[in-house]
Amino acid sequence: MEPAEVEFLAEKEPVTVVPNFSLDRIYLIGGDLGPFNPGLPMEVPLWLAVNLKQRQKCRIMPPEWMDVEKLEEIREQERREDTFTPMPSPYYMELTKLLLNHASDNIPKADEIRTLVKDIWDTRLSKLRLSADRFVREQEAHAKLDNLTLMEINTTAAFFTESLNHMYKLRTNLQPIEGAQSQEY
Amino acid sequence: MADELELFEQGSDAGSDEVLLTPAELIRQLEEAWLNEKFAPDLLESKSEIVECVIEQLSHMEENLQRAKKGDLKVSIHRMEIERIRYVLSSYLRCRLLKIEKFFPHVVEKEKLRAKEDPSDLSPEEFTFAKEYLENTEMYLKNVVLKHMPPNLQSIDLLKSVPLPNLDSFVFLRVKERQENILIEPETDEQREYTVDLEEGSQHLIRYKTIAPLVASGAVQLI
Amino acid sequence: MSEGYCPVPPGLGREENLLSLEDVLMSQEKLPCRTESSLLRLGFLEKSGDSENIPLGSKMELPLWLVKGLYDQKRRVLSVELPKIYREGWRTVFNADANVVDLHKLGPHYYGFGSQLLHFESPENPEIAKTILQTFVGRFRRIMDSSQNAYNEDTSALVAKLDELERSLFRAGQKGLNDFQCWEKGQASQITASRLVQSYRKRKFTDIVG
Repeated sequence: MEPAEVEFLAEKEPVTVVPNFSLDRIYLIGGDLGPFNPGLPMEVPLWLAVNLKQRQKCRIMPPEWMDVEKLEEIREQERREDTFTPMPSPYYMELTKLLLNHASDNIPKADEIRTLVKDIWDTRLSKLRLSADRFVREQEAHAKLDNLTLMEINTTAAFFTESLNHMYKLRTNLQPIEGAQSQEY
Repeated sequence: MADELELFEQGSDAGSDEVLLTPAELIRQLEEAWLNEKFAPDLLESKSEIVECVIEQLSHMEENLQRAKKGDLKVSIHRMEIERIRYVLSSYLRCRLLKIEKFFPHVVEKEKLRAKEDPSDLSPEEFTFAKEYLENTEMYLKNVVLKHMPPNLQSIDLLKSVPLPNLDSFVFLRVKERQENILIEPETDEQREYTVDLEEGSQHLIRYKTIAPLVASGAVQLI
Repeated sequence: MSEGYCPVPPGLGREENLLSLEDVLMSQEKLPCRTESSLLRLGFLEKSGDSENIPLGSKMELPLWLVKGLYDQKRRVLSVELPKIYREGWRTVFNADANVVDLHKLGPHYYGFGSQLLHFESPENPEIAKTILQTFVGRFRRIMDSSQNAYNEDTSALVAKLDELERSLFRAGQKGLNDFQCWEKGQASQITASRLVQSYRKRKFTDIVG
């Protein structure tokens, strides 16, 4: 999957915006939105929030976790623990990228936030590599990866699955060819 | 402009049961089918009913938008949504076509041998496409290569030469419905087989073959 | 999905894909063997020989595809010798530290060719299969880390020592990383010329005709 496609999925996440216009309730195929009233915060999917922001029709309110102190805590925990920290959003990377690229004026300390999120990402990916190496060395058949996000999985999936597929076949090399016996030559 | 949609859609005439789905549910199912198709190593069962319903929804919405005031903000929001849904639908269909092209002799063979009551992996249009692709490839190979070969080498068994999907591929999945006692086969001689329970909402990495039926039943979602 | 051309990949493990270019190249590699009966009228296979037939007991190096075709455990046409790198001496080196070995020089299809050898029922098969698997497992970490730029250093020296299967994995890892970084910078939505088209432009007709 392309990162842009993972982002496409992330764009369905609800985000709080403050519109500066009025509009009646709209009935999208995917659900109802609105009505939009100037100055009143409301939830819309991320794809719409970004679009409205680009047209200067709203202000975006950062999610609660997009805050320097909160992220520093998460970074600490991520660095401290061997396991993966449950992230406040399964789309933290995508939300950070989209909101910081399109609405950084609505986000306090945007640069610090960008750095913190990148640090968290790097720490998690290096943990993922550690787990992958362990998985391969122990030749496991199954792994549970509850707190990994889609973007993290997607960035490494092609490499992992290709490796594991090869490894599985190399393992089954050991199984005897059907009907044949070993012979001395 | 009629913003209101009927909240309940009937399933297509393909099935004998009426499927009552909200449009939102329908789109959710389309997205799930899309993701499963993307990550499954083989061609999954055809979801023609979903495809047809989605196309119906999109046409319906397009018609409404034609009648609406131009330049209305509502119109552009609806259009954005339509584009998003259209993207998922095209990507889903293209993914299937790619697999049909990749495994074409096997796909055609499987469909030919299918019992009438069993569900098909191909929509009628896809089957036509697959058969044409097979005929074209056979003719191409014959004309460009095979007929210039010595007489006893003038045929090729496409079923043997074209690789089968690798059902032993590893996949990532998220669990939608709790499953108990999934058997994990031993990978080495030193290991023993064991079972795992798949908790709702958990994510796993596992060989596709083990969980293929769960994908078909909707109990797990490939990611 | 964004590529218009999907070549048939090489077979996994002991399988070989007829339509895979990689496998065609792999099966061209030579295997030392010994004839177990005289091969009539096949003298042309021996470059140095001048006789019409190949006598019993001749030692020859034949490509894998030919050996697979002639090999039959019942009729005993050929017996296969293990190439050096799959024999015990080299296996010990691999088992000690697989990371130091230049698999490209020794291969370049170490895993593929090694897996194909298992068709020839040697008593050493279990050991060969085990070494091939352990080699893969041992080298996995370096390939993964360098393809994800974890070392932040020049990877070309490492890649030069990878066999073809490992290079394919390395490329997959790099692509995952590059695609992500590209997306992060916001370049994912830019339209660029397809790779195939770019290489068309660079080639002149005279280059192709040669």
